[in-house]
Amino acid sequence: MKRLAVVAVLLLASFILASAAVAAIYAGPRQWYAGQTASTGFSPSWVRNAFGTYGSGYDKTVTFIDNKSYSWHNTVRNTSGWTETYAPYSPFFQITDKGHCKANVGSFWGSCNIY
Amino acid sequence: MKRITRRWAVLGAIAILACIATGGVIAAQFRTFDNPDRLANAIDKDPLVLAADIPAAGGAARHSVFVQTTSTGHVCLWDVPSGQPRLRQGGCNSADDPLAGRPLSVSFAYDGGPSVASVRDARLIGLAATNVATVEVVMNDGTRRTIRLKRARVGGDEYFAFGYRFHVGDLRRGIEPVAVVALDESGAEIDRQTTGFNG
Repeated sequence: MKRLAVVAVLLLASFILASAAVAAIYAGPRQWYAGQTASTGFSPSWVRNAFGTYGSGYDKTVTFIDNKSYSWHNTVRNTSGWTETYAPYSPFFQITDKGHCKANVGSFWGSCNIY
Repeated sequence: MKRITRRWAVLGAIAILACIATGGVIAAQFRTFDNPDRLANAIDKDPLVLAADIPAAGGAARHSVFVQTTSTGHVCLWDVPSGQPRLRQGGCNSADDPLAGRPLSVSFAYDGGPSVASVRDARLIGLAATNVATVEVVMNDGTRRTIRLKRARVGGDEYFAFGYRFHVGDLRRGIEPVAVVALDESGAEIDRQTTGFNG
């Protein structure tokens, strides 16, 4: 029983380490179902937001949402294996926003990435 | 004592092998559905090829449609504001199958929203196979908008590329896109993809 516990702990540790090795993922990789969403925290530092999937053909959306009007910016919706947009920018004032991604269909495997 | 130590050594070796196998499975999963960092770096560095234009209209700037073949084996299609190639909106598919097994691949981009009344600009870009004669956008009032196609070469193969800007007047009146359809020469619908604002 003790040995099994040791093996289980080692397996769990390897899983966590393998997952943590990929940077900038804020949701997943996991199974997505229609209507599910995920967001980052608000920051003025985000540059781009992308939703990558296992294979192509899954309808999904990526966008940025600002922290004042909560309006959506530079939204992209498509079924590509990789769906990407850029953060809104103004030379006159700082824009603080969060990355947001949404699965419009299900189910598929993928992750949302922020840079 | 020796026997117990050996048993632990065997168990340890099994555990390490299991860890390696688990890590390998996870790593393979990342590779299969696109290594995000590798692809992101390739998108930053690899050259863009102009495929179509979206003229300025109603106070919105001109945009260009670019095709990008990346060093990671992807074909990306981008909607880019004129003169700002790093501001990309769109997506990528495997270079082996840029249309993901369909006659049509589209990407819908908009600023504002999510409600249609607050959308300031909305555009559609796409690639179509050469057996597509016409691409139309189906609006929620039943009307259709025909999109002009332009020949484009991607990795030695011929496609049609297109870019389209929705009339802000339509959006203000609540007329919004719901689907994009591809028709063949006989007028038969050969592909349909749902799109639209989806907050």
